[in-house]
Amino acid sequence: MSSDVPVLELRGLEKYFNTSSGLLDTVKNRITRKSPTFVQAVDGVNMQLWENQVQGVIGESGCGKTTLLRTLIGLYKPTNGQLLFHGDPVSEFTKEEWKEFRRHVQIVFQDPFNSLDPKFSVRRTVAEPLEIHGIAYDIGQIKEMLESVGLTPAEKYLGRFPNQLSGGEKQRVAIARGLITKPDVILADEPASMLDVSTQAEILNLLNKLTDEFGVSMVYISHDLSTVSYICDKINVMYLGRVVEEAPTKQLLTEPKHPYTQALIQSIPIPDPHYERERAAVGGEPGDPINMPAGCRFKNRCPERMDVCDQTPMDVALSDDTNRTVACHLYYDHSTEKTEQAQ
Amino acid sequence: MKVRAGMMRWWCKMSDPILEFNNVDIEYQTRGDNAVHAVNDATFTIDEHDYFGLVGESGCGKSTIADAIVGGLDDNGEISSGTIRYKGTEIQNYSESQFNKEIRWKEISVIPQSSMNSLDPVMKLSQQAVEIAKYHTDLSKAEAIDRLRELFDVVGLSESRIHDYPHQFSGGMQQRAIIAFSLFLQPSLIIADEPTTALDVIMQDQILDHINSLKEEWEISMLMITHDISVVFENCDTMAVMHGGQIAEAGNVVDLFDRPRHPYAILLQNAFPDVRYPDRELAVIEGHPPQLREKPDFCTFADRCPWSIAECYEGAPDPQSVEGDEDHQAWCIRANEMDELAADHLTKPAEGRSILEDIQ
Amino acid sequence: MSRLRYFAHRTAITVALIFLVASSLFVFFRLMPGDYSSLLVQQGMNADQIARLEAKWGLNAPLHEQYVRYITNLLTADAGQSFRHNAPVWDLVRPRIINSAILVFPAITATYIIGSLVGTVIGRYRGGLFEKSSIITVSVFHSIPDFFLGILLIAAFSQTINIFPTSGMLSTETAVMIGGEPFWHRFFLKEFWMHYALPFATITLYFMQYPALIMRNSVVEVSNQEFLHYHRLKGLPRPALLRKLMRHASLPVVTLYPISLASSISGLVLIEIVFNWPGIGRLLVDSVLARDFPVIQFVFLVAAVWVILGNFLVDLLYGVIDPRVSVGNDNNE
Repeated sequence: MSSDVPVLELRGLEKYFNTSSGLLDTVKNRITRKSPTFVQAVDGVNMQLWENQVQGVIGESGCGKTTLLRTLIGLYKPTNGQLLFHGDPVSEFTKEEWKEFRRHVQIVFQDPFNSLDPKFSVRRTVAEPLEIHGIAYDIGQIKEMLESVGLTPAEKYLGRFPNQLSGGEKQRVAIARGLITKPDVILADEPASMLDVSTQAEILNLLNKLTDEFGVSMVYISHDLSTVSYICDKINVMYLGRVVEEAPTKQLLTEPKHPYTQALIQSIPIPDPHYERERAAVGGEPGDPINMPAGCRFKNRCPERMDVCDQTPMDVALSDDTNRTVACHLYYDHSTEKTEQAQ
Repeated sequence: MKVRAGMMRWWCKMSDPILEFNNVDIEYQTRGDNAVHAVNDATFTIDEHDYFGLVGESGCGKSTIADAIVGGLDDNGEISSGTIRYKGTEIQNYSESQFNKEIRWKEISVIPQSSMNSLDPVMKLSQQAVEIAKYHTDLSKAEAIDRLRELFDVVGLSESRIHDYPHQFSGGMQQRAIIAFSLFLQPSLIIADEPTTALDVIMQDQILDHINSLKEEWEISMLMITHDISVVFENCDTMAVMHGGQIAEAGNVVDLFDRPRHPYAILLQNAFPDVRYPDRELAVIEGHPPQLREKPDFCTFADRCPWSIAECYEGAPDPQSVEGDEDHQAWCIRANEMDELAADHLTKPAEGRSILEDIQ
Repeated sequence: MSRLRYFAHRTAITVALIFLVASSLFVFFRLMPGDYSSLLVQQGMNADQIARLEAKWGLNAPLHEQYVRYITNLLTADAGQSFRHNAPVWDLVRPRIINSAILVFPAITATYIIGSLVGTVIGRYRGGLFEKSSIITVSVFHSIPDFFLGILLIAAFSQTINIFPTSGMLSTETAVMIGGEPFWHRFFLKEFWMHYALPFATITLYFMQYPALIMRNSVVEVSNQEFLHYHRLKGLPRPALLRKLMRHASLPVVTLYPISLASSISGLVLIEIVFNWPGIGRLLVDSVLARDFPVIQFVFLVAAVWVILGNFLVDLLYGVIDPRVSVGNDNNE
């Protein structure tokens, strides 16, 4: 496995959904020659996930992060653009390669209360992926995995059913199930958001530890910047289907460039009564992803709005740092970028 | 606008209590003679014009307390002992019609937990306002609608939307409409049960900003119930932390932040992510609160507490004043030893540098 | 979508569906083994008569012409001629529709009103003996085949204690006596209602299970909804809360009401035979036995329209009761 190729890479990924639901609508659109309306759930996302890297994707509900995740695991077929796994485009995968892909890319869902089969014991839940992929295993392996996610002693948990587990324990079982096939990538969909604060810390610490220990890469999706910052090396900020800024965690928190990122960070309440926080100057709500304004999608809420914002901003690498990009006209040298925008 | 605009208020505290809980027990009867003792010996006081935060994990009894104040317990729930005083009058034995006549909405209104499911989906918002007016006032239909219009303006909704149905509103707009309803009869106390939990962070901030501005303009007291300790630290004057049906610690927010004395209050603060210090290790609180089939005669946190001793299981803890301050109390028999016992946990990460300081 | 547009949309769909069913019936009857005229001619006609019949019915014309004629005839309420009675099908079917409707609509409506009330009570007082016994009772009545339930009722109330007549709509004497009067005259006679009681009771008891059990579940579900709690905290008195509870809980029951109306037509065949009730169910059976194809074809159409109109009614009711259905989401400007 050469490490100069990202484990998972997105190139200009787009995923649109047709809003007209029924046969009648489709026929009507054909007759009236109206182009069907699309929800642009994910629009032109580029992302590179490297070995051992933990990347966060944050944004408000409806920003497309869940669609992105589902496209990443192959549940949705991208409308445009490519998903590459170790450099190979998944669109050309054979059935066997897909199976292999599914073994190496595992998912941990948001809701531990519904993502485990209530009729499966812990042992069966964790062993199931191995059976599906026809991997030989013994009980020792499963015990070992349970212990490494903190369910000790493993014997105590093997025979239990989900209704005998607490929320945090269920999420640990879900993580064990994800790790048992020795995947390259874990996709985590807000795995801590439905848990209580004390348990949330447990799960965050556990994920932190495990990604180091097992050397997996992870995409961690959340709406909550304060938890993402605990485990991610790098954060992508999504707004209405586009990634507006990506940067290493600390840089993003200390020097957010995009006005939307700034607003997100300023809106996080600080657990300290002595701290005087400046409220964000952003009003309104994200529009709906059906009829979006041309150009920058944040422009209607943006305190820095300029005329040029009617044109779609490109991702630009900041001159002082190659490691981060931001899609905002504030950071362009417009005289040199003109040609690129014209497209 | 600075977030802690109301911070100075607790210095010159107005002392009339608006709501007092005295040793309140609340239990639910479940099938087969089983009882759940949801709240035990709860004692706290909310002063007039105070914003009071009640913090705890799910199932700790905080929502039960909210329901009990306005007589909204389910049919199987009962206040089995203790007193609840509202403006000096005992209300724990009020009947449904007494609550309707004397308490509900005119005196105490509620911002319920899930705004998305709390507005009647088959009624226009204007109809829902007219209904409140009908049962509590002699306002005419037109007057009630005018009033709603004014309130929509107050909470930042367009007046032209008052005849919409709830499903035509986004989550944030529904929450604003709920706030408008809670102000409809100018109550003295508003109970806000997780008012922003379902919202995204930017919307949460806007809603909290609104809730905060009510304090000055409407002279309102607030009981804010949440699992999010940062919301309480930012928006409340006084607070209580609950665990397993017992109050763990109560006092004003600055005291609880600077000198927490109940182990749960200490650990909870350390478990809470703070965006300023992403490198800090989060505290983990092991275990779960116990199921309370009987009234607990022990500290419900003892099983999870790293500093528990045998005596913690020998009787429910009595409140201890922290450093002689009557307003700051911890329900822990070792409260006065915590300084040494939990020394590791009491160092504020503030000694490290906040990474946010560079944001302009 | 505005409410008006919603209703217009539903109406258009309903009309289109009826047209589609009428067309399918035309096709199905032409697809039957043997050609269509041979279906009509079974009673030993000679070739000459057949030729005359074919000419009269236009059965020699190409199919598409026959189809156009079939549809135009239907639009002018001309459903052809009954072979057996040698009378226009429409004249034959019309009184039967009325007889069936007079039985089914009030019976199903009563079922739903009583059933919803029973369901509400069961839902409010759960866990008791009342809940168990009510559920068992309505389930037992629905488990017995409807015609058998009818026979049991006849055995009990006509044979054993002899309060109600066993069958028919009127006794023969009365039928002869009022022969010249318009048909609605009979509704003023006590005798008609005595005949009416048992089939009415059969339908009511048989269908009671749906509204009662669904209302029960729905009441339990709605009782736990946040908005009811919020209404209570806002200080609404108990009767007002109960009204709200019932309005919300009745939504699924309302959906089912026209469906029961529609589906009752199938049960009707047997009930009408048991009680010798001159409705379309019995007409259908009689016509099938006599191979009276024009009548069968038209009764099928009536049954289909009955079901389609039932569903149309659901849509309309829903649009009124629940604004989320007819008034779309148009925020985000």
